[in-house]
Amino acid sequence: METEDIRGKLLTLLTTIAPDIDPQSVDPDRELRDQFDFDSMDTLHFAAAVSDAFHIAIAETEYPKLARIAAAADFVRGKLTQGREGVVT
Amino acid sequence: MQIDFRLPSLGADMESAVLTDWLKKPGERVRHGEPIATVETTKGLIDIESYEDGEVKELTVQPGTKISVGAVLARLEVEGAAHAVPPPATAPAAAPPPAPPAAAPIEPHLATIQAAAPGAAVRARISPAARRRAHELGVPLEVLERSAVAGGVVHVEDVEKLAAPAPAPMDARTAMRATIGAAMARAKREIPHYYLSHSVDFGPAQSWLTDFNAKAPVADRLIEAVLITKAVARAASRFEGFNGFFRDGRFEPAKAVHAGAAVAVRGGGLVAPALLDADSKDLPALMRDFSALVTRVRAGHMRSGEFSAATITITSLGADGVDALYPIINPPQVAIVGAGAVREQPWVLGGQLVVRPILTLTLAADHRVTDGRAGARFLRGIADLLAHPEAL
Repeated sequence: METEDIRGKLLTLLTTIAPDIDPQSVDPDRELRDQFDFDSMDTLHFAAAVSDAFHIAIAETEYPKLARIAAAADFVRGKLTQGREGVVT
Repeated sequence: MQIDFRLPSLGADMESAVLTDWLKKPGERVRHGEPIATVETTKGLIDIESYEDGEVKELTVQPGTKISVGAVLARLEVEGAAHAVPPPATAPAAAPPPAPPAAAPIEPHLATIQAAAPGAAVRARISPAARRRAHELGVPLEVLERSAVAGGVVHVEDVEKLAAPAPAPMDARTAMRATIGAAMARAKREIPHYYLSHSVDFGPAQSWLTDFNAKAPVADRLIEAVLITKAVARAASRFEGFNGFFRDGRFEPAKAVHAGAAVAVRGGGLVAPALLDADSKDLPALMRDFSALVTRVRAGHMRSGEFSAATITITSLGADGVDALYPIINPPQVAIVGAGAVREQPWVLGGQLVVRPILTLTLAADHRVTDGRAGARFLRGIADLLAHPEAL
């Protein structure tokens, strides 16, 4: 899966867990916390949705990697690549 | 027997709501806790739940109608001795005012007048000029006749008022600010607040949480706010004078602890619906309730029971917050506990200066019910519970 596709899917997941966010208004390089007042509950909901949708394990210490959509797409792509190569971290 | 189903108060700040949908039809069964109707308030859409088991006999208000707190929405047939009013646990936050006749719109507009009961007994007197103007503006004579019931002769101005579009509704943000402002002004006017603060070493709770979350799949993980809420709820059930309502000049302690959780609405504003029985639920169950509650708040669609039930409120600033906050009591409650952001700070432990994650808890409580000494015991009680998170 390409990073662009992952990014699109992440935006869909974001608006699923936070229906009050307009996906058009998301700046992929800004922190969701600054942009949308993301709090710990939003972060948890987003991490759970990403973990579920891409079938990847996300540790609590990795939540900061989901803070920006662009960085999150890279993070997910890395996880998916690792999974395919059978690398366990 | 038949009972009136009335619009409950969904907070001290609420005076009216607009009925948006009926979720039940006449002849349908309704169970205790099941939603009957959806209303729109400044807090968003709220499903009004029944406080009785029974059958819906009659719906007395049309969707789109503005209704006052205490107004009759429907008639229910209930078995046996029914409560005419909601039981105390879900009682309205303020005593409902004497019920006005069903559908008491503040400004009669065309829509509401058309929805009002037909068959005006009084023969309307409409001035010839008014009749002409009504024809020009396309206001049906029928509507004029109904509007005349209340006020005698119909003049040209009345016709123009009826034909005028409804005043532009306040935008949602402004309305929410007004709601918060009204409730907080009442709190500051009526409640003699006192404030206490206490810093605690959040290390044990944080380590326990990290361990718990490392073993749990993402969906089952907990957040700090849930531990704090549970600790406050348990302390509230143990220490007298902080859990309940101040009404009619006296404190009414509540048996159950329904913890109001202040939840921020994105873009501004907040609401504080209740986590029911927060003292007796285990942490995973409380987390599920909390998670579902936040989702409902953010989606702008909540439940009436959540609004009338809170017996104490907890407000947590979260990781981005500052050290401490000094909250205002949500009337008719008598206490609110604030939790600042957990931050690493110098701390003395066993005679040594160390760096620990510190949480500052604050309490605003009602001096008509308790004093600072009782408040201090309550805050220390919360701190003790947080020191042993495994027992929460």
